[in-house]
Amino acid sequence: MAHAQRPSQLFRNLSAKIAAIPMIFTALVVFVGGTLWTITYSFTGSKLLPKKIFEWFDLFSIPVPSWIAKDGALDFSIPVGFVEKSFVGLKQYDRLWGENRWLISIENLFIYGICSLIFSLLIGFILAALLDQKIRFENTFRTILLYPFALSFIVTGLVWQWLLNPEFGVQSVIRDLGWSGFTFDPLYNAEIVIFGILFAGLWQGTGFIMCLMLAGLRGIDEDIWKAARVDGIPMWKTYIFIVIPMMRPVFITTLVIIAAGIVKVYDLVVAQTSGGPGIASEVPAKYVYDKMFQAQNLGQGFAASTMMLLSVMIVLIPWAYLEFGGKKKNG
Amino acid sequence: MAIVARSSKFSRIMWPTVAWIVALIFFFPIFWMVFTSFKTDADAVKPEFLFSFKPTLENYFNMTENYDYWRFAANSVITSSFATILALVVGVPAAYAMAFNPSRHTKDILVWMLSTKMLPAAAVLYPMTFLTKNMLGIYDTHFLVIVVLCLINLPIVIWMLFTYFKEIPKEIIEAGKMDGVDTWGEIKDILIPLAWGGVASTALLCFIFCWNEAYWTVRLTTTEAATLSKLIEGNRAPEGLFFGRLSAVSTAAVGPIIVLGWFCQKQLVQGLTFGAVK
Repeated sequence: MAHAQRPSQLFRNLSAKIAAIPMIFTALVVFVGGTLWTITYSFTGSKLLPKKIFEWFDLFSIPVPSWIAKDGALDFSIPVGFVEKSFVGLKQYDRLWGENRWLISIENLFIYGICSLIFSLLIGFILAALLDQKIRFENTFRTILLYPFALSFIVTGLVWQWLLNPEFGVQSVIRDLGWSGFTFDPLYNAEIVIFGILFAGLWQGTGFIMCLMLAGLRGIDEDIWKAARVDGIPMWKTYIFIVIPMMRPVFITTLVIIAAGIVKVYDLVVAQTSGGPGIASEVPAKYVYDKMFQAQNLGQGFAASTMMLLSVMIVLIPWAYLEFGGKKKNG
Repeated sequence: MAIVARSSKFSRIMWPTVAWIVALIFFFPIFWMVFTSFKTDADAVKPEFLFSFKPTLENYFNMTENYDYWRFAANSVITSSFATILALVVGVPAAYAMAFNPSRHTKDILVWMLSTKMLPAAAVLYPMTFLTKNMLGIYDTHFLVIVVLCLINLPIVIWMLFTYFKEIPKEIIEAGKMDGVDTWGEIKDILIPLAWGGVASTALLCFIFCWNEAYWTVRLTTTEAATLSKLIEGNRAPEGLFFGRLSAVSTAAVGPIIVLGWFCQKQLVQGLTFGAVK
């Protein structure tokens, strides 16, 4: 038996290793490489990448940048020299935090993030509790609520751009019905535009959160409900003090998913308002993109994306440590 | 569930009513989009609401004739399908290894993979564009889109497969091993048939995510490998213009997903809740 198991053990490790290659490749090339590049260039005053980095020669007829020598060794003198020459220290960061557009972006992301977190959890949980009351055609209901999640952010953004348009959207419909003073134009009001985007975001994501919550609710033992009822504990108290604490793992999964969605708000903003009115609904990802690809101000864009990376790390590392670092010791 | 026993007549009528009102609100934007796609551009921006217009298929004809819808659709189908297949080919062995031969670091690896989903894509967009356009010369190819879509979804795919595989008793796999089945046989003849529902849900979800992906597909393609997301993006106009046309394009882009989702309700829900809803 031991003989028969040996090769399969080896192969099993092999398959795991092979399977891990693409992940490792992405991690190294895209995340680590891209991140290092981003951070390095955020300390330079570069408007565009230096011409010299774009010079190529053929190595096995594959175009290779000239700073990779013929024998494959890397000659970093050109990029390093470039960085040295245009090194500006923290000036880009200085300018970044002095720019109104960036500050508005941060504020918007903050408001969107907090609100989307609170409302997704709240509405998602209430809907799940509602659906837990044995409703006919439950599956159809669930599918309808999940549909928005199956739409891309671009389509979601477009649909809500139309719905929230004061001339032919919800506002005009309600005015047609007779309430002529009705005003509902969040996308055209700089003060509340971010809430217009929040609407679309919630519409898209809440059904999914509800499904996760429902799964959590269904996972709770029927006997607990019975015990609570026997003890005469009111329903809302049972939810808050018994059911919700028991659903902790579900809440954590949900939090991670919501957090991942918040980072992606970019597509929604682009589709709905393109950052307008004015710069009222800018978000950091859009700032980065515009600086890099439209304003040709790479250093500034890289500084902004470094700040984004940094803030994600600040949130992510303590969470991962708390959630998974502690458990490892126990088992 | 538990409250049902003591629920009054009132609540038996009220809860479903509330639920269906919520469902209607949720469905309304999609309905509106489909509805608008049958209006002309001029009708679409008129404040008169629902039924004061002549339905027309003009937008759809326009779209297929002038905007090459089928090429974009074909690209979407090709890239999403191949990316899904590739993700499964890579993900199944990985999830198998993690579920049945966990090491001390399996959990860490899973968390790390998922955490990559949370990094802001904007931070690596420029290096990626540069790498694919100037260094590798694979910008705007099907190959690139497939690889990128696969890599983006791989963490989720492996994670989902892992949760499904974990539910399968180890003894079954071990029994197979006793009978002298090799690893490939274990995966093909034991694991996949047993976890078929989970694999199908994962594939469906991966396909939907690939289909919807806009951030990378819009920015790493121009014409050759451009998907439906790119078509929508390209048709976006300043507010109020071409709404009929844009609705038609959007409807045609999400239509396949809506239909697919309706017929695979069970897999969709199961997939999205990682098998937790039975």
